[in-house]
Amino acid sequence: MELQDKLKILSDAAKYDVSCSSSGSSRKNKAGGIGNAAESGICHSWSEDGRCISLLKILYTNYCVYDCAYCLNRISNDVPRAEFTPKELADLTINFYRRNYIEGLFLSSAIVKNPDYTMEQLLDTVKLLRELYRFNGYIHVKAIPGADYRLISEAGKYVDRMSVNIELPSNDSLKLLAPQKRKEQIIRPMGLINTEIQQTKEEKKLFRHKPSFVPAGQSTQLIVGATPESDSKIIRLSENLYQRFSLKRVYYSAYVPITNNPRLPTLQHPPTMREHRLYQADWLLRFYGFSAGELLQNEDDNFDIQLDPKTDWALKSLQHFPVEINKAPYEMLLRVPGIGVQSANRIIIARRTGPIHFEGLKKIGVVLKRAKYFITCQGKYFSELSLDSQLLRQSLLDSPQKKGPLYGQISIFDTTALIKPEEQYSKIFGEL
Amino acid sequence: MNIFIYDGSFEGLLTAVFEAFYRRINPEDIVPQERYQPDLLTTASFIEACPEKADRVYNSILEKISKQTLQYVYYVYISEEAGSGRYILDYLRLGWRLGYSVNQHLLDPRVLKIHQISKRVTVEKHRMLGLLRFQRIGELYYAEIEPDYNIVGLLAPHFSERMSDQNWMIHDLKREIAALYNQQEWVLIDADREGIPNLEARETTYEELWKAYYRHIAIPERKNPKLQKRCMPVRYWKHLTEKK
Ligand code: SF4
Repeated sequence: MELQDKLKILSDAAKYDVSCSSSGSSRKNKAGGIGNAAESGICHSWSEDGRCISLLKILYTNYCVYDCAYCLNRISNDVPRAEFTPKELADLTINFYRRNYIEGLFLSSAIVKNPDYTMEQLLDTVKLLRELYRFNGYIHVKAIPGADYRLISEAGKYVDRMSVNIELPSNDSLKLLAPQKRKEQIIRPMGLINTEIQQTKEEKKLFRHKPSFVPAGQSTQLIVGATPESDSKIIRLSENLYQRFSLKRVYYSAYVPITNNPRLPTLQHPPTMREHRLYQADWLLRFYGFSAGELLQNEDDNFDIQLDPKTDWALKSLQHFPVEINKAPYEMLLRVPGIGVQSANRIIIARRTGPIHFEGLKKIGVVLKRAKYFITCQGKYFSELSLDSQLLRQSLLDSPQKKGPLYGQISIFDTTALIKPEEQYSKIFGEL
Repeated sequence: MNIFIYDGSFEGLLTAVFEAFYRRINPEDIVPQERYQPDLLTTASFIEACPEKADRVYNSILEKISKQTLQYVYYVYISEEAGSGRYILDYLRLGWRLGYSVNQHLLDPRVLKIHQISKRVTVEKHRMLGLLRFQRIGELYYAEIEPDYNIVGLLAPHFSERMSDQNWMIHDLKREIAALYNQQEWVLIDADREGIPNLEARETTYEELWKAYYRHIAIPERKNPKLQKRCMPVRYWKHLTEKK
């Protein structure tokens, strides 16, 4: 088969993977080598669906012995199949890299033959790239569930990021839709990888030349809308993953209806708005000091589609408002709708040089349209409405024509507010 | 109205700042020769670039204000935006008065202006690190760009670090300059369109593969051209291999 055809089949098969991030690693180039990693990540292009292309995201093969109902590559599905060789993949990566198409490689695979064999192929590919091709760009590789941990651990020495996909938000759903995958096969390697990451970090403090291990950390991905779990269950799961396994990111992927399997729901469109709300909530967990329980109190709760999770929380917590811009601590500023990490930081800096007036807030990047209901400036309240949750809700709802098609995984308009300073540039440009 | 004109170099700009300070003249603007439009109402004085004077300003910014401020000044300089000479002068006057803390005065219009322009330059630089495309012609990797700001000198260090084992050229067609790298060091040269290598002779196998990849990685059910254009403004598409 021609390389061109393999590439088509295996990028098609990889496209539902969400992550394309190239951040979190500062791997340096070496003499005679090629490439390095940029801490904040770099996007190289955006595909027609508006998603950032940072890495060559591709499957090693789509020959699969498993039969996950939600997946195009399942054994029972009749699709064209292909398999790369490690050398072909390494050549593609290097040549794309030299032309500045990509930051590196995101290598995943279906389960060909068995998990160990598959993991070995991935390992061979990354070894080839690092050792023979002296490639120092970014590599993200999937840890194949069920593969011998020694293989996974070996790969960890070569790559920047690893991920094991959770796939579905609960064990029951996993049993139903991915019968050959077991929860333990996913959770166990995650735990082991995390332990090894933490150990390596400690040892690196003592021995500078200790080789790195997955320096950009782990991420995972789960499908939203293929199974009945509530948003509340999902963000509690994410919170757990962040706390227990120090994951760098959890990615959410709106289920794209691809089969008419009776075990799967029939949807007209992928639930992208729901996915968007989950991303917003996820940001609130990671950078804003919110807990999952604050955002959604009951296990069965779902996010309001018309209101972002932070505003929703604020309306339910009016007893904390209004806050005085010139006095409130950083943590409280962060909780004001319309104030993001960047503008909160700026408020703290600017108020050292003098009191901030209402007019000054806009210059700092505060979205006054939202924030005005929740703040005072030098004791003055600027909104014409009183702090009444019904009234406020009406004026804060997302207007219908504004939403919908524009939302990607991260949307700048309501998340410039949600940007962590050191990540801001990549965030502005899409996914990180 | 009094205007200072300089040769367009950073050194020239800093010399003009020096003169404004030490001669106690307050020019309305400091304009590079190239962009100067004479009119009846202005008196223009040409300021000859002087390395010593420029050095004194440079060092004084570093010592009395901060490295960050020096970077802001440089970024506003390469933004080539109208009025930037004036903004720089105002900002530096304030900087010398307030010292290190000048960049905390986020609400002062003189500071805000400088921060806003620098931010736009930084954004474009970061964007271009990703959007720049090399074409392979023999042993040369050649990239054409037409950025809003004069950022070729900001891009070159990144690529000499990253693509250190290949010869490359980054050609700013708009400004007719190029960064040239020979696996040792990079230099900035004048390069008009005559300097474009023969693109017919370029290698296209990987270009075709990349185009195929680009088409296939999009999820058709999530097609979203608006989002795509917002992230990747159409003015940059011209030089993107995958969009040609
Ligand atoms: S293991 Fe399941 S999810 Fe992975 S490629 Fe095979 S069928 Fe798809």
